[in-house]
Amino acid sequence: MSVEVRNITKRFGKFTALDNLNLKIESGELVALLGPSGSGKTTLLRIIAGLEFPDPGAGQVLFYGEEVTNLPASERKAGFAFQHYALFRHLNVFENIAFGLRVLPRSKRPKEPEIRERVEKLLKLIQLDAHGKRFPTQLSGGQRQRVALARALAVGPKVLLLDEPFGALDAKVRKELRRWLRQLHEEIHVTTLFVTHDREEALEVAGRVAVLRDGRIEQVGTPEEIYDRPASAFVYDFLGNVNLFHGQPHGGSVKIGDTEYAVTEKGGPLETPAVAFVRPHDIRISREPGGHATLAARVIRCNTAGPSAHLELRRLDNDGWFEVQLSKEQFNELQLNTGDQVYVELRNVRVFPEDYSI
Amino acid sequence: MASKNFRVLPGFRLTLGYTLLYLSLIVLIPLAGVFVKTSTLSWEQFWHIVTAPRALASYRLSFGASFLAALVNVFFGIMVAWVLVRYEFFGKKIVDALVDIPFALPTAVAGITLTALYVPNGWIGQLLAPMGVQVAFTQLGVFIALTFIGLPFIVRTVQPVLEDFDPEIEEAAASLGANRWQTFRRVILPMLFPAMLTGFSLAFARALGEYGSVIFIAGNMPGKTEITPLLIATKLDQFDYAGATALAVVMLVGSFAILLTVNLLQWRSSRHLARV
Amino acid sequence: MAQQPSPRAGLIDMGDTTTFFRDTRHEPHRRATAEAPWVRRLLITGALSFLGIFLGMPLVSVFAEGLKKGLGFNFHTFLDPQTLSAIKLTFIVAGISVPLNCVFGVAAAWAITKFDFRGKNLLITLIDLPFSVSPVIAGLIYVLLFGAPGPFGTWLSDHNLKIIFAVPGIVLATTFVTFPFVARELIPLMQAQGRTEEEAARVLGASGWQTFWRVTLPNIKWGLLYGVILCNARAMGEFGAVSVVSSHIRGETITIPLQIEILYNDYNTAGAFALASLLAFLGLVTLVLKTWIERKKAAALRAAEMDLIT
Repeated sequence: MSVEVRNITKRFGKFTALDNLNLKIESGELVALLGPSGSGKTTLLRIIAGLEFPDPGAGQVLFYGEEVTNLPASERKAGFAFQHYALFRHLNVFENIAFGLRVLPRSKRPKEPEIRERVEKLLKLIQLDAHGKRFPTQLSGGQRQRVALARALAVGPKVLLLDEPFGALDAKVRKELRRWLRQLHEEIHVTTLFVTHDREEALEVAGRVAVLRDGRIEQVGTPEEIYDRPASAFVYDFLGNVNLFHGQPHGGSVKIGDTEYAVTEKGGPLETPAVAFVRPHDIRISREPGGHATLAARVIRCNTAGPSAHLELRRLDNDGWFEVQLSKEQFNELQLNTGDQVYVELRNVRVFPEDYSI
Repeated sequence: MASKNFRVLPGFRLTLGYTLLYLSLIVLIPLAGVFVKTSTLSWEQFWHIVTAPRALASYRLSFGASFLAALVNVFFGIMVAWVLVRYEFFGKKIVDALVDIPFALPTAVAGITLTALYVPNGWIGQLLAPMGVQVAFTQLGVFIALTFIGLPFIVRTVQPVLEDFDPEIEEAAASLGANRWQTFRRVILPMLFPAMLTGFSLAFARALGEYGSVIFIAGNMPGKTEITPLLIATKLDQFDYAGATALAVVMLVGSFAILLTVNLLQWRSSRHLARV
Repeated sequence: MAQQPSPRAGLIDMGDTTTFFRDTRHEPHRRATAEAPWVRRLLITGALSFLGIFLGMPLVSVFAEGLKKGLGFNFHTFLDPQTLSAIKLTFIVAGISVPLNCVFGVAAAWAITKFDFRGKNLLITLIDLPFSVSPVIAGLIYVLLFGAPGPFGTWLSDHNLKIIFAVPGIVLATTFVTFPFVARELIPLMQAQGRTEEEAARVLGASGWQTFWRVTLPNIKWGLLYGVILCNARAMGEFGAVSVVSSHIRGETITIPLQIEILYNDYNTAGAFALASLLAFLGLVTLVLKTWIERKKAAALRAAEMDLIT
C-alpha cells in the first residue's frame, strides 16, 4: 500500500517541525527517513501513524490514495515500533504479540486456535519460538525489539513504521538486526518506513533514503544517488566525512591550487563564494606535481592504527587543514613521513555555494 | 565491602541503639504484652471470648464494612486519580489538595460532622429520609464513615503511577487497533494493579481499626452496629481486661494476615513490572 | 490493488482496500491517546460528585455548624475553664510526643540510610507497625503495661504514681500512634540523598555532630518539617487511643478531641462544633502547609536524584 504525505506543516508553539513537506512512498518499498535531531523525521512518522496530526488544514496523509489525515491511530492499521519498544510489561511475549488480534472487534476477531497459530508463526519468524512465556523484563534489548516488530506485524498492517528501531541497542546487535530487517522485508514486502539518524544504517538497509533538515526534505533517492550525487552541502556533509576547500572564484568555477572545479549546482557564473567538498578517501597524494595534483601541502600527522591510514595535511597556500584516507598499501608505497611536502589531487569534487556552515 | 569494624560515618551504634531501644519501649514490648496477657488464658477461655455472638457480630460489621468501603474507594479512587492526572479543570489544584482532608481532620471531628450530615434532619439525611433510607445509627452509616477515612489512600498510591505512565505504551496499544476502553482495561488497569492493591490494603487496615470517625454515627448497638474497636473499649471500661485483650489479639492477627496477603499478591503482580 | 502479503507470514488478508477507511474529512481529529469528550466530562463529573459528597459536604458542614451561633459564642466556649484545660493538655501532649518522635525519626533514618546492616527491611517494617494498629489497641497496650492488671500496676500505685488515667499515659499513647511519621518521611529522602556529602565532610575533618548539623540537616529540612507537621496534626487530633487511657475526668485528662465528645454527649452540639471547627481549621492550615512544603520537598528529592544520575 502506498503512503503519501502532501503539504504537511506541523508547528509546536513557535517551533516548526515540518514545513510544507511532500513525500510519496510506493507500495512495498523500504524507505529511510534520515536526518539530525530536530529535523522532523520522528514527527513525520508519527503523523503518518496517526499519533500526531498536522496543523489544521495544513496537509494530507493518504494511504493507497485514500485520505486518512483525520483518522486516529487505532483505525489506521499502520504498524508502529518505538525506539524503546513500549512492550506491555504485564504480558508475556506471546500475549504481547497477540494483543492486536485480541482487540479486534468481535466480528473480525479470529478464534483462539487461529490466534495461537498466527502468533507462533511470528515467534518463529523472529526466532523467539522458545521464549513465548517470557516477560519483556527477561529479554535482551535486541529480543525486545524483535517482539515489538512481531507485535506490530501480527494484525497484518499495510504499512510498517519504525521509530529509530535500533537506536537503543549497542553496535553489534544493531548490525545483526539491520540485516535481519532487510531479510524480513524481502520475505514480507510490507511498505516499511523507518526513522534513523545513523547514516550508515540508512545507506545499508533502505531501498530509498529521504534526507530531512529543519522540517523539509533535502533530497530523496537511492543510497547510491544521495551519496554520489548529493544535492546540497548539507546532504553531502551528513552522509560522511568531508573536507572543505576554499578557493578563488573563477568564472563558473572555483580554483584550488592550479586546478579549476566547476560548480556542481545549477551552473552559471558564481555570485557567492563557493566551497569544494571532498571525501577523505577521494584525495590522491603524489610526491611530484603533475596532472591534477596541483595543490601543495605538508603532512602534519600520520595515523596508521586500524584498517586504513589517516593523514592530516595542511595546505601551503592558505594553511587550510584537511584529512586524507589511504589504504595501507597506498601509504606504504608513498612512504610518507611527518613534515613531507606533497601534492594532492582532488577527485569527486562537489562545489556548493558558501552559505552552509558545518 | 566496608569492613564491619570500620565505618566512615560515625554514630552507627548510637543511632541504631537508640532506635532499637525506643522502638522496643514504645512499640514492641507493649504490643508483645497483648499476646503475653492472652497467653494467661486457657485455649477454651480464649475461644469462648472471641466467638461470643456479640464479638462475632462486631467482626462481621468491622471486616465487612471496611472491606466494602475500601472496595468503593478503589473504584472512585482510580476515577479521582485519573481525573486529577489526565484532565484540566477549574480548581483542580484545590481539589487535589483537599483529597487529603481525611488525613488532616481529627477523627472525632469527622465523626460528629458525618453524624450531623446524615441524621434524618441533616443536609444529606433529609434527602434520603423520604426514600426510606436511614444512614445515621445504621450499618450504612458505618460504611459511609469508613469510606470517608479511606478516601485518600487509593488516590495517593495510584496518582504517582499514572503520572509516570509511559505515554508510548498507550500509543502502542492504539497503533495496534485498541480503542480507549480496551487500552484502559487491558493495558493501563493491569499496570495500576500493584498500586491499587497497596492503596486497598492501607484503606482496609485503617478502616478496620478506625474508632473516632465511626462511633458517633454508628449508634453502637451491640450485635448490630457495634464495631470491634468499640467492643474492646467497652470491655476495658468494664475492667474485663482478658476479654479486651483476647479481642485485640483477633484484630491484630487479622490485620497482619491481611497485610501479609496483600504484600504477597503485590509482589507477585509487580514482578514483571520493574522499570526497564 | 495492494500486493497480497505472503501467506508464510500468516498475516490477515484485510480485503478490499478501497472501502477500507472511514471518510473522516469532515470529522475533527483528536489525539490517539485521548478519550472522547463525553467520557471526559462524565469522569470529571463522577469524580467531583464523589468528592463533593464525601469531602466537600463534611468540610462545609463543620464550619457551618461551628459558626451557627456566631463567633462570640465560640470564644465563650473556648474560654470555658474545662475547654481551656483541654486545649492546654493537648498542646502539652503534642509538645512532648512530637519532639520525641522527631528525634527518633532522625536517629532511625540516620542509622538506616547511612549504614548497611542486616535486618534493615525488618526494622523499617517494625517502624511502620503502629500504622496498622487500631488506636483503641494502642491505648490498650499501655493499660496492660502500666494499669492495674500490669506488671507495674501495684508498684505504681504503691508509690502513688499514675501513668494510666493520667497525663503520662496520654503522652505514651499519643507517641505510639504518631511514632512512624517523621521516620517514614526521612528514610526515603535520605536514601535518595545518599552518603557522599557526609563522607566528604568527614574526609574534610568534620566531627559526627558537625557533619549532621552542617551537611545533613540542611538537606533534610523540608522532609523533617513535613513529617513534624503530619505528626503534630495527628497528635493533636488523636481520639481513640487517648480515650482508652484517659480517666475521662473533666478538667484533668481531657484533650480537645475528648472535650468535643463530652460537649456532644452533653447535647451542647453548638459547643462541640465550635471546638470541632477550630480543629478543622487547624486541619486546613496543616493541609496548606503540607502542600507548600511538598513542593519544596519534591524539589530537594529531584535534586538528589539528579546528582545520582550524573
